[in-house]
Amino acid sequence: MDYKPTILTGGDTRSDDQIMAAHERRNVRRVSGPGLPGSDGKGEPLVIMELLQRLRVKDVMRDHDIISVVRTDTMHFAQNLMKRNHISGVPVVEGSRLFGIVSINDIIMALEGGWIGDPCQKHMATNLVVLEEDMPLAFALKYFENYIFGRFPVLNKERDLVGIVSQRDVTRVLMRELTKELARLEGTPGGAQPEAKSEGALPYYSMRQFVVVRNDLSNAGKAANEIKKMLSEAGVGKKTIRRIAVAAYELEINVCIHSLGGSITFILDSHKATVIAKDKGPGIKDVEWALRDGTSTANDWIRSMGFGAGMGLSNSKRVADVFDIKSAVPTGTTVLCEFNLDAPSAVRTA
Amino acid sequence: MNTTDIVKTLDGTLVAGGESDRTVGTVVANDLMSDVLLNDGDDILLLTSLASDQAIRTANIVGAMCVVVHNAKPLPQTMCQVADTLGIPLVSSPLSKYESCVRIHAFLEAEAGA
Repeated sequence: MDYKPTILTGGDTRSDDQIMAAHERRNVRRVSGPGLPGSDGKGEPLVIMELLQRLRVKDVMRDHDIISVVRTDTMHFAQNLMKRNHISGVPVVEGSRLFGIVSINDIIMALEGGWIGDPCQKHMATNLVVLEEDMPLAFALKYFENYIFGRFPVLNKERDLVGIVSQRDVTRVLMRELTKELARLEGTPGGAQPEAKSEGALPYYSMRQFVVVRNDLSNAGKAANEIKKMLSEAGVGKKTIRRIAVAAYELEINVCIHSLGGSITFILDSHKATVIAKDKGPGIKDVEWALRDGTSTANDWIRSMGFGAGMGLSNSKRVADVFDIKSAVPTGTTVLCEFNLDAPSAVRTA
Repeated sequence: MNTTDIVKTLDGTLVAGGESDRTVGTVVANDLMSDVLLNDGDDILLLTSLASDQAIRTANIVGAMCVVVHNAKPLPQTMCQVADTLGIPLVSSPLSKYESCVRIHAFLEAEAGA
């Protein structure tokens, strides 16, 4: 009578060799992933950081079948719509213009107050927090962290409503992209820089983060110099290097002299370079004012060091292909500068 | 105009960074580093009164070929170290920045006319 290891295999009728091979396959999978806390303990945060910068809000938002009401619809109609679709809020729109949002809280208030038969325009929230479709996903995550809302309307540059993004949408796309990224990393030895780095070729991506200490001017500029070196080694063209280095340097100096301290993050991939300056406060009261040439809150000490001319932010904006700034008092400021590396002039030819 | 010419013309001393074969493409005379960063010229000769590490770091960002500090200002040791590390010639001159501008202009005019 043939021996079948039923206890070990749960009634498996495969041969011992087949079972052992399956065990080995399982073991191989366990060693190399797919769990995110993976093999070298360094690559995963880079992957996530890169994804959060690369992906835009428009990549995760739902842009079709947006469930909405018009201003003259009743609160009762909005309530039924939410109930039917298992959602906690509906935008109030006319064409593509967003007028407000009716949330589940507004419905509860309407039921309690007896105005559930009123038109939505009377009770909708009009002081709205919205996302823009070109914002990096990192900003969307920050919004979900900072506000209690479970979903945000997404507007384009013309301020039209183009989609809705919920935490669920973000998770869904992030999981999909992370899976792709991990499959790519696992498929190639070496992980973080999988493409062979030929002379003059850009690496797939790399990321560095530099801490910037408040008022430590003797060290300010080191991050920008390192970034310049990295770009040069990656074969980026001289003029592009200079633009990126200028932005990195200005932002680094800004964090050093105007904030309580923070960091400069630099991400480089085959298509773009991204510099992100993030500080711990005190934030900028009037961002538009701060972006104007020659406006500065610098003191004499800063000026004696050659800075404080009020050109930092405008200089960074001038050299970047994409510039974004978000600031809140007193939590801090985040500035993002992106540089397109796809243009022929962005790659060194000699 | 190379580093040797700059030192000679400005009665200066090369204090750090070493000699360089590079020649002057653009002359920038400024003490505000953000203004220097605004300049798009190549092979910048930076004439400044700012005796700090940041003058050298800024020079490196814009790819400057030489930095001259004026009025015989004492140069911090760290400034010289940064210049050595980044390989940017650092010259100390007893002249005022204005006088330096005049002399360099005359030199470049003569060089162009030669």
